[in-house]
Amino acid sequence: MNILKALVKREILDGKNGYLRVPVVLAGITVALLALSALGFGNMIEFHGMEGGTMHREGIENLGDAVTRLHEKEPENAPAAIAVGYWGMSALAWMAFPFVVFFSLLGALYEERRDKSILFWKSMPVADWQEVAVKLFVPVIVAPLVFLGVTIAAQIIIAFFLSVVVLFEGGPVLVMWPLGYMMGSWLAGISMYLIYAMWALPVFAWILLVSAFSNRMPFMWAVLLPGVAIAMENLFLDTNVVGSWIGMHVGGWMEFAFAGHHKDINGPRDLLVELLGGPQLEALGYSVTSLHFWAGLVVAGGIVYATIEKRKRAI
Amino acid sequence: MTEYVVKSRGLSKSFGDFQALKNVDFNVPLGRIVGVIGANGAGKTTLLNAVLGLSSYEGDLKVLGRDPAKERDALMKDVCFIADVATLPKWMKVSEVLDYVEAVHPRFDRAKAMDFLSRTQVPLDRKVRALSKGMTVQVHLAVVMSIEAKLLVLDEPTLGLDVIFRKQFYQSLLEEYFDEDRTVIITTHQVEEIEHILTDVVFIKGGNIVLENDMDSLTQQFIEVIVDQGKEEEALALKPITNGSTFGKSTCVYKNVDREKLASLGETRRLGLADIFVATMTGEGQ
Repeated sequence: MNILKALVKREILDGKNGYLRVPVVLAGITVALLALSALGFGNMIEFHGMEGGTMHREGIENLGDAVTRLHEKEPENAPAAIAVGYWGMSALAWMAFPFVVFFSLLGALYEERRDKSILFWKSMPVADWQEVAVKLFVPVIVAPLVFLGVTIAAQIIIAFFLSVVVLFEGGPVLVMWPLGYMMGSWLAGISMYLIYAMWALPVFAWILLVSAFSNRMPFMWAVLLPGVAIAMENLFLDTNVVGSWIGMHVGGWMEFAFAGHHKDINGPRDLLVELLGGPQLEALGYSVTSLHFWAGLVVAGGIVYATIEKRKRAI
Repeated sequence: MTEYVVKSRGLSKSFGDFQALKNVDFNVPLGRIVGVIGANGAGKTTLLNAVLGLSSYEGDLKVLGRDPAKERDALMKDVCFIADVATLPKWMKVSEVLDYVEAVHPRFDRAKAMDFLSRTQVPLDRKVRALSKGMTVQVHLAVVMSIEAKLLVLDEPTLGLDVIFRKQFYQSLLEEYFDEDRTVIITTHQVEEIEHILTDVVFIKGGNIVLENDMDSLTQQFIEVIVDQGKEEEALALKPITNGSTFGKSTCVYKNVDREKLASLGETRRLGLADIFVATMTGEGQ
């Protein structure tokens, strides 16, 4: 247990630019822009300059008024709308996430061979399977948790900040804290991601295998090899098994998981209720009964095994 | 019965067509300091890599009773090594290196490592990347010397260090680390600096072990004579393995020739390890 903890800590230290600095900087930019727009450019929160005039006609002059009006007109939708709004405002941090995961996996077993530090790691009583497991676990599981943590912090700071603005403008401050929806959305986000990650596991494992075997240009190997395989298959066999298999695992499955899912969604509350309660269970239900899903896990297991064997022989 | 730390029979390793190790029987008894000496590309590192479980091999090999290729992680609880290139992770701070080793190695004594480092100028909060080459080696040696291992393998451990630190290192290796329950295997090009600490020596050439002996009997076998004037023909008749001249006097090196007989030819002296190595490698000493 101690060893795994030390390995996870080492991976986070090694990748702290991607895992920590990138989301913190991006979330910081979001919060800073919001703060600037409120403090320096009051007219963005004061809606005087807004075109269209509808708001003006309804007597909405600033954020406080807007929240008051929203709360009066749509008391059921207001908290959900605000929770969704917070996600919108903190989404910037997640834009970097796929890149962080991709490049962390790609460098995981490549860099240690390049700088020869593998000889130091191998002089310690740590098994190769432990190393490989941690190098898969940290980018795929720990990184999104860190990103989520940063998102949560950003949402709380944004909520706090907007509460102060609304307070000064005489609006209903409590409406700015739809905690139930906020927490629900955090849990929903991470559980949905976990299902997604299990589907995409063979792809993640492939990137890690590339990082274990390629001697240079791992990026080309990771991307070009499947690309060439798909092209060759299309060209010579006129089929698209490889391409559609990969497509299915990086997100295509959702189309099937949510097929027949055509509930009417009226307003943000429906949307959020829908997102909080339904899709994870639905996705999980679809996944565990899908042969595709299990096949993916088996393939991922095979690739991870190959990666461990490769790590055993690497110096 | 002698207890062996390393035992191998018919150990071989090929890279494509190139056979780097050829049916080597390499045995290291417990409680010795063994110098593995050979020219570049002779197979030293290949041999050590097999012993450390870093590469595959053919033949039988047991290190502390284990198969290194299959049980490297278990073996590393009792075996420590420094490879011939700088391998400390450059992105880590010195203190983080110590944290990591402390967490994963059950036999690491942090206080001891701190004691070693306190005798150096190495700043603990600096990244390895920012250390000089010498300091990096000092950190690595401090880590390795603080692990209570049964077998320590050092591949060119003092490369890039100045002569003062090299002397200190071998001194503390002998005084603070080595005891009869521990075994050290060491390779270096600076043979003169380690010959006084070695108990055994192995010469390796072209993937073969060409000589394996303990230091005492080895140095007794090779005798150099500064031949008195007029006795040159007599000296050549005893078939020296090499002969040359220094300061106008001819010198001859003999292997396994009676010392008293040689003393009658002139002044005799024992040969240093480096000279024995050269004599052996040039083929005449075999």
